[in-house]
Amino acid sequence: MGPFDGGSSSSSSGSCAGKSPEIDGLLAGAGYKVRSSELSQVAQRLERLENVMVNASNEISQVASDVVHYNPSDLANWVDSMLAELTHPQYPPSDLQNFPHHDSWTDQIGNQQNQNLNHNQQLTMVSTMMDEEDSGIRLVHMLMSCAELMQRGDFSLVASMIQEMQVLLIRVNTRCGIGKVAGYFIDALSRRLFSPSSAVCGSDSALENEILYHNFYEACPYLKFAHFTANQAILEAFNGYDFVHVIDFNLMHGLQWPALIQALALRPGGPPLLRLTGIGPPSPDGRDTLREIGLRLAELARSVNVRFVFRGVVASRLEDVKPWMLQVHSKEAVAINSIMQLHKLLYMDPGRASAMDTVLSWIRSLNPRIITVVEQEADHNQPEFLDRFTEALYYYSTMFDSLEACGLQPEKSLAEIYIQREICNVLCCEGSSRVERHEPLIKWRTRLSESGFKPVHLGSNAFKQASMLLTLFSAEGYCVEEKEGCLTLGWHSRPLIAASAWQAVPDEPTRKRDREGDLSI
Amino acid sequence: MAGSDGVNRNESMMVVPLNTWVLISKFKLVYNLLRRPDGTFDRVKAEFLERKVPANTIPVDGVFSFDIIDKTTGLLNRIYMLAPETEPRFGIVDLERPLSTTDVVPVIVFFHGGSFTHSSANSAIYDTFCRRLAGICRAVVVSVDYRRSPEHRYPCAYDDGWNALKWVSTRRWLQSGRDGKVYIYLSGDSSGGNIAHHVAVRASKCDIEVLGNILLHPMFGGQERTESERRLDGKYFVTIQDRDWYWRAFLPEGENRDHPACNPFGPRGESLEGIKFPKSLVIVAGLDLMQDWQLNYVEGLRNSGQQVKLLFLKQATIGFYFMPNIEHFFSLMEEIDEFVHSNC
Repeated sequence: MGPFDGGSSSSSSGSCAGKSPEIDGLLAGAGYKVRSSELSQVAQRLERLENVMVNASNEISQVASDVVHYNPSDLANWVDSMLAELTHPQYPPSDLQNFPHHDSWTDQIGNQQNQNLNHNQQLTMVSTMMDEEDSGIRLVHMLMSCAELMQRGDFSLVASMIQEMQVLLIRVNTRCGIGKVAGYFIDALSRRLFSPSSAVCGSDSALENEILYHNFYEACPYLKFAHFTANQAILEAFNGYDFVHVIDFNLMHGLQWPALIQALALRPGGPPLLRLTGIGPPSPDGRDTLREIGLRLAELARSVNVRFVFRGVVASRLEDVKPWMLQVHSKEAVAINSIMQLHKLLYMDPGRASAMDTVLSWIRSLNPRIITVVEQEADHNQPEFLDRFTEALYYYSTMFDSLEACGLQPEKSLAEIYIQREICNVLCCEGSSRVERHEPLIKWRTRLSESGFKPVHLGSNAFKQASMLLTLFSAEGYCVEEKEGCLTLGWHSRPLIAASAWQAVPDEPTRKRDREGDLSI
Repeated sequence: MAGSDGVNRNESMMVVPLNTWVLISKFKLVYNLLRRPDGTFDRVKAEFLERKVPANTIPVDGVFSFDIIDKTTGLLNRIYMLAPETEPRFGIVDLERPLSTTDVVPVIVFFHGGSFTHSSANSAIYDTFCRRLAGICRAVVVSVDYRRSPEHRYPCAYDDGWNALKWVSTRRWLQSGRDGKVYIYLSGDSSGGNIAHHVAVRASKCDIEVLGNILLHPMFGGQERTESERRLDGKYFVTIQDRDWYWRAFLPEGENRDHPACNPFGPRGESLEGIKFPKSLVIVAGLDLMQDWQLNYVEGLRNSGQQVKLLFLKQATIGFYFMPNIEHFFSLMEEIDEFVHSNC
């Protein structure tokens, strides 16, 4: 049994059932983590819970149905929190509520852009998914062989295989399914072979990237899921605080924030003072894009009576940001929001301090109330090219499958280009230019836990929000799943994006005082 | 909850191992939270709480799995197969060739339980069960993700079952034996057993051959209250009240439990006499309050001249097969193994 806990067919966390002898292996196979030594205690508490529910008045029954659940795999805690809730009911935390899709916001940005202008565990490349088309199956086999040759350095063979595949591609329907994905992968192999290693796929244009991002946002629910889920966690974390500060690791067009601003506006007890610090790359054409977005958000906040302060921090790389730039006040509740940014820090430049360590340590120093992390659920940072290739082939073909359901044009086509650029980066680039170093939730959990963070569980409320979001998308294959307190969104049974939330584990008191000294007033 | 008091709850704790008791009690409590008195169901919360697992092409205990969407219906089928001697290349599963050209490999189409309302093909409990079934009985298992009530009432689950059967029967890569056909068995627990029966009936009227039915405490019922229901109500995890809820959620609105879907040998049932119905293996748990209906079903099959074997497990409760920690589990597997290999 390798490191993949999927092997034990359990939905438990990084430890395999059986690795830790005290976990009941049979319950683990059913998806529940219970220590054998605790089994009779859990049984007793279940009995007590049943007693409470059976003898419950109607009110308690209502409370029981409204209870927010967290991390159901942890059975002992689940039973305890149910018992606690039923004996001392809490008010349900505030919700994002079902805000109408903020069309006007995205339209504004979209119009602006248009004016400015002219794809180990889950290594499953099931060839019948391509509808038993012989050419499709053969193409997959050839792609894999070619990738292996590439890894071995057999470049002349790679070149001739690429030619063969391009011929085969003609016989396959390239408008959907395996044909489409294969086309992009053949292209990536070709680029890797013929272009120098420093080549970048696609353009350097920030504007182009933003447009593609925006269309990806519209064409499929992955980014919306990221925003909704993160916002829900941030909203809950900000409960009871009058001064709150969100630090967004990649502002882009600030698509995430109108919903949060509106939710804070409707908070029982009134909105807090909201500070938003948006980090972003420098604008090439001299425009201060960050400030423009900030102004628009400020206008929105004003219209709903939320006191709002925006600050832009320009940085090409996250590791260039210094905590003093963020101007965190000691009394505010800080939320750090990282949507698909952390993986960019994974490149280890020999001879320089680890970018990841640098950033994680200053995050801790800010003592945030919550850190929301959304990442692609894929293992695209493996050292061996062939492993990356295989994983990417499966991951992106699933993603392209899900995109098939989108009817909007040009959103769909532009979203495909967005994805294609990602594929290129994963497969063609190396060293510091390969920024798309996606790693699965399991690895992030380990890394963050070892760096002094503990998970904050996303509960059934966030799950409900995410599920409601999906009903807006006509495609039936999207599914949200809960896993160890995190939420994933995927296509059919393959998760493609994972959202989690974290807090810093408090330091020893003496060290903490030093850290507070770092905060600027 | 009728019939429950301290003595009775301890009783259920005494007949099953503790971890099984914890599992089934947990389901019982959670399901109570999800069912609403007005007949609606908190599906979102159910999905949140459901423990699911992905398919895995890397073999575990000699069995690997993968999901396929049937493009005509949009339904997911999870396939479980014995791992070949040589590891699949790059995790690619080649589904072009038949399972074997010499040996017969049974294909068991499995409909998971959940009283038509709960669970999915990728539920952890069912994934684990199917994996064990495939490994122990050396068969291919196809677990069908049928549509559930109350969102999709009768006959959706049966239609999905029927489509799955058709799909399985036409897969080249599920063929085996010298005559190159798919050797199909239908099976299911609880509502899945009920679905298997009705799909088999439909198959007998068309050209698809089903070699056998394996029904694990299948979900049947009727308007009448039977002796076992009265005697065992609330004592071993299940109550008459919850059974009634699930039938109301599945059957068409306004129907009662003598509807033939629920009571196939009841007053509105259809005779199976003279029909080419597959042989059946029916497993009844002796502590299941609905056993009288299952025994009634076995009677009904016999009276129609159909071949049926009854496996009555006296001290078994519902869900005894989720964990291989009691003898009943092994008896069950032995019987199924024999049942699906007796044609070879």
